[in-house]
Amino acid sequence: MTAPRKRPSTASLMLVPFWLVVLVAYVGTMLWTVQISFTASKLLPVDVYVGFDQYHRLFSSTRWLVSMQNAVIFGVLFITGALVLGFLLAVVLDQKVRFENTLRTVFLYPYAMSFIVTGLIWQWLMNPGLGIQKAVRDWGFESFSFAWAVDRDMALYALVLAGLWQASGLVMALMLAGLRGVDEEIWKASRIDGIPAWRVYLFVVVPMLRPLILTAVVLLSISVVKAFDLVVALTNGGPGISSDMPAKFVMDNLFTRQNIGLATAAATVMLITVAAVLVPWIYSEYFRKVRAGAAT
Amino acid sequence: MSIDATSSREPPKGASALAFRSGSADDRATPSRHRERSATRGRKPRRLTIGRIGLYGFVAVAAAFFLLPAVVMVLTSLKTMPEIREGSIFALPESFDLTAWIKAWSSACTGLDCEGIRVGFWNSVVITVPSTIASIAAGAILGYALSFWRVKGADVLFAILLLGAFLPYQIFLYPMVRAFSMVGLYNTLACIVIVHVIFGLPIMTLIFRNFYAGLPVELFNAARVDGGGFFRIFWNVMLPMSTPILIVAAILQITNIWNDFILGLVFAGRENLPMTVQLNNVVNSTYGEREYNLNMAATILTAAVPLLVYFVSGRWFVRGIAAGAVKG
Amino acid sequence: MKQLIATILAGSALAFAAMPASAQDKPRAEVMHWWTSGGESAAIKTFADAYEKAGGEWVDTATAGGENSRAATINRMVGGQPPTAAQFNTGRQFDDLVSQGLIRPIEALAEEGGWKKAMPTALVEAASRDGEMYALPINVHGQNWTFYSKTVLEKSGVAELPSTWEAMIPALQKIKEAGFTPLALGGQPWQERALFNAILLQQGGKDLYMRIYRDKDEEAVRSEGFAKAVETYGALRGLVDAGSPGRSWNDTTSLLLRDTAAIQVMGDWVKGEFTNAGKTPSEDYGCTIGLDDTMLMVGGDVFVFPKTEDEAQKKAQDLLVETMISKDAQAAFNLAKGSMPVRNDVDTSAFDACAKKGLELLKSEDSQAPVFEILVSASLAGAVDDVVTQFWNNPSAQPEDVVEGFVNAFEVEG
Repeated sequence: MTAPRKRPSTASLMLVPFWLVVLVAYVGTMLWTVQISFTASKLLPVDVYVGFDQYHRLFSSTRWLVSMQNAVIFGVLFITGALVLGFLLAVVLDQKVRFENTLRTVFLYPYAMSFIVTGLIWQWLMNPGLGIQKAVRDWGFESFSFAWAVDRDMALYALVLAGLWQASGLVMALMLAGLRGVDEEIWKASRIDGIPAWRVYLFVVVPMLRPLILTAVVLLSISVVKAFDLVVALTNGGPGISSDMPAKFVMDNLFTRQNIGLATAAATVMLITVAAVLVPWIYSEYFRKVRAGAAT
Repeated sequence: MSIDATSSREPPKGASALAFRSGSADDRATPSRHRERSATRGRKPRRLTIGRIGLYGFVAVAAAFFLLPAVVMVLTSLKTMPEIREGSIFALPESFDLTAWIKAWSSACTGLDCEGIRVGFWNSVVITVPSTIASIAAGAILGYALSFWRVKGADVLFAILLLGAFLPYQIFLYPMVRAFSMVGLYNTLACIVIVHVIFGLPIMTLIFRNFYAGLPVELFNAARVDGGGFFRIFWNVMLPMSTPILIVAAILQITNIWNDFILGLVFAGRENLPMTVQLNNVVNSTYGEREYNLNMAATILTAAVPLLVYFVSGRWFVRGIAAGAVKG
Repeated sequence: MKQLIATILAGSALAFAAMPASAQDKPRAEVMHWWTSGGESAAIKTFADAYEKAGGEWVDTATAGGENSRAATINRMVGGQPPTAAQFNTGRQFDDLVSQGLIRPIEALAEEGGWKKAMPTALVEAASRDGEMYALPINVHGQNWTFYSKTVLEKSGVAELPSTWEAMIPALQKIKEAGFTPLALGGQPWQERALFNAILLQQGGKDLYMRIYRDKDEEAVRSEGFAKAVETYGALRGLVDAGSPGRSWNDTTSLLLRDTAAIQVMGDWVKGEFTNAGKTPSEDYGCTIGLDDTMLMVGGDVFVFPKTEDEAQKKAQDLLVETMISKDAQAAFNLAKGSMPVRNDVDTSAFDACAKKGLELLKSEDSQAPVFEILVSASLAGAVDDVVTQFWNNPSAQPEDVVEGFVNAFEVEG
């Protein structure tokens, strides 16, 4: 009877360093961020408190509002796009196609590229004077246009396209792994019942892949909220402010504009938004599962 | 060789199911037409062919989309500047010219030093190896503790970690710089390693937690009955079963850490600046005219290590995920 | 795992402690800057060479991109491991660092060296806080130059570069019709704003310019002069090439180098790129200040010297200041950089025709105006950038949007 009591204490002990990291690095930074957002700090933190002034400033900034809106559009298109494309690629690879290994590498390799590199490549491809547009026009299609990165109406979609190129492979790998784990019996049964395969995929397989989809969504949304490198390398938020993103707003104000009060206010808003949208969902997904697992 | 002869998993009588399944990919490309056909017609071979053609069509388009940037990069890196200016980005180089590659590696200027991006290569290795190992170790232990040992408050710990993963890196810079300089570690190799461990913790924990949650609890219970402690169970039972997920974690972390720029710039110290800092200097420095061939070569060289890791272990990557996450 | 970290810690601490010992005897100066492009690299090299010649050891930490470099610098200062010297732009970027006591005043060195009175007042003021110098200006950059390709003008049938913006717009139209890019502009906010300020100073005059940026005078923003400048600026929107958005200034200069674009309005650092490409100013390409060579917008680069208790570092800083401001180094550096010496007692006979025009204007207070970074805070500068870039990149934006944007920015950012 002594053992079960002793063991959890070893585990608790093991968690101490992690708690330390989490409290100092994560909770510490979060509290610090919130605190600074209520001060008049410029380049360096000071403790002159100004109430909600920074938040007032933040929400009267067109640039911030545009970047929030962009983050939503980018987020929805990028996450659903990557999920759909990744899932389709996985399904295709699951059809016993030839050269499966090669194809898998082809779909996955962009994930090895940093967002900076991704941005650079696509900037080059979408450069109207050097990239795809010029090549196709030289072939005789004079009216062909593919210069998204320099077009204020398309720049945001340029980011989505580049993002999909980089991240879809990861979703594909996750999904493919899931599909390989699907019991052969399910396919047999559906065949006997004459259910079309697309319906099996949609209504049977997708629900089974739920944990993987969740992991993918978490990974993808982290890159949406943190979208900075890609934006800087591909459009730098432009033309104008048409493809600006919250993380870039924060970075600009942190050093270049010497507004850490404003930057931390923006980060706090981002954090609260994320918490409001994602935490309840993640909580129910993960902790419900744990409770179910604990019962077995 | 007919395209549809490749099916080995499916028994002959399953051919129709295979057709339906391949149709599902096709459906998305050409929505209504094929679905109608598969519902009304019964001539299997023809349906099969159309399905497979649609399937391979999709594969070809997708592969082209993913390969295009790489092809353009490699082609461009092998061209001379006049060729790049005058010709199409898809044109083949006139001669196989490695000048840009050699220059990028060993003589491109990154400020006053003109020693190419190789300067940062070893720094990147020296940062990536311990950071990867340490962050995986941390994630694995925490993930294991969270999924098998019901410790009070562990869920809260995990929730904070996940939430913290959504804060922009840049916000952490100032408080972390202060903290590290207080303990006298700022601008050292140790500093950048710890930073990578801290930032890697949420995702690593997430992955390992999901993996261990998928392992049968009986295994753990049996080990406990045998009198195993926290570390003995981890070391003797869990770790040997973790190979696939370890590979996944390694790939993710090597990519993330190798590609990092801002953390390396701020925390690593002058002597340890990673390769990406040199890449930034090469790519953003022009000498009269932007040398696209040089930029592309430097870019590919910088991405070479994670790329190599993917090429070598891509197969295990998928297997690793398969072994882990789905069972849960 | 803790053991692992401990081992790593111990190892790297040892490695770190062991490193600098060898170079104790020479004053060792680590200099952080963001000069990585052709002309810039050549320029910083003259400083490095001069410093080594003076018996020091120059450790170069170059990071492309002012933002990256400043982020690294500021963090190292905050972290207590500052470099010996770090580059900033003239202006108010280092205000907070001064008020937090992180920067060493160099007033004593200035007194000793006697070079302070040889500098343009605007730059001395910009480098001083409460009457003490905290930064060392090392050059004067004129930031309202118009560089032009003589070949393109000739081929388009434009005999001479117009000397007013009223006459410039039709000329640019003509160039466009001839199939060239009339205006070479890199569509990054700071470049778009630099163009706007050049137009404002040219068309509105120094008085209006100062009332707006120094006094933040709402009346001046609502004046006719300002409206006219905005209108001119707006008319230029259709006169750039499709590849403009996001392009860097030096990529933009290469359009002039290759004679595909007519004019670029930029600082004189552009000359460095021309020189690097083997072109001679005023022969292979033309240059005017503003459009009529009457008013120079003065800015430049400075180095700050972080406060340190380390005597060796102080000595290295002293030597750096002495070297960088010496007449020889000033001449060599500025020749390579394309800028003008920050002191007026340097022999400038070797400078090119363009620089000589600028040096002429530098002689009088009345023919120079400070760049706006000297006049406004970093935060207001950013807010102005936002307003200008939104107007420039939106063809349907109206001049009134700019007026309201400025008024609002002054209100919020002060």
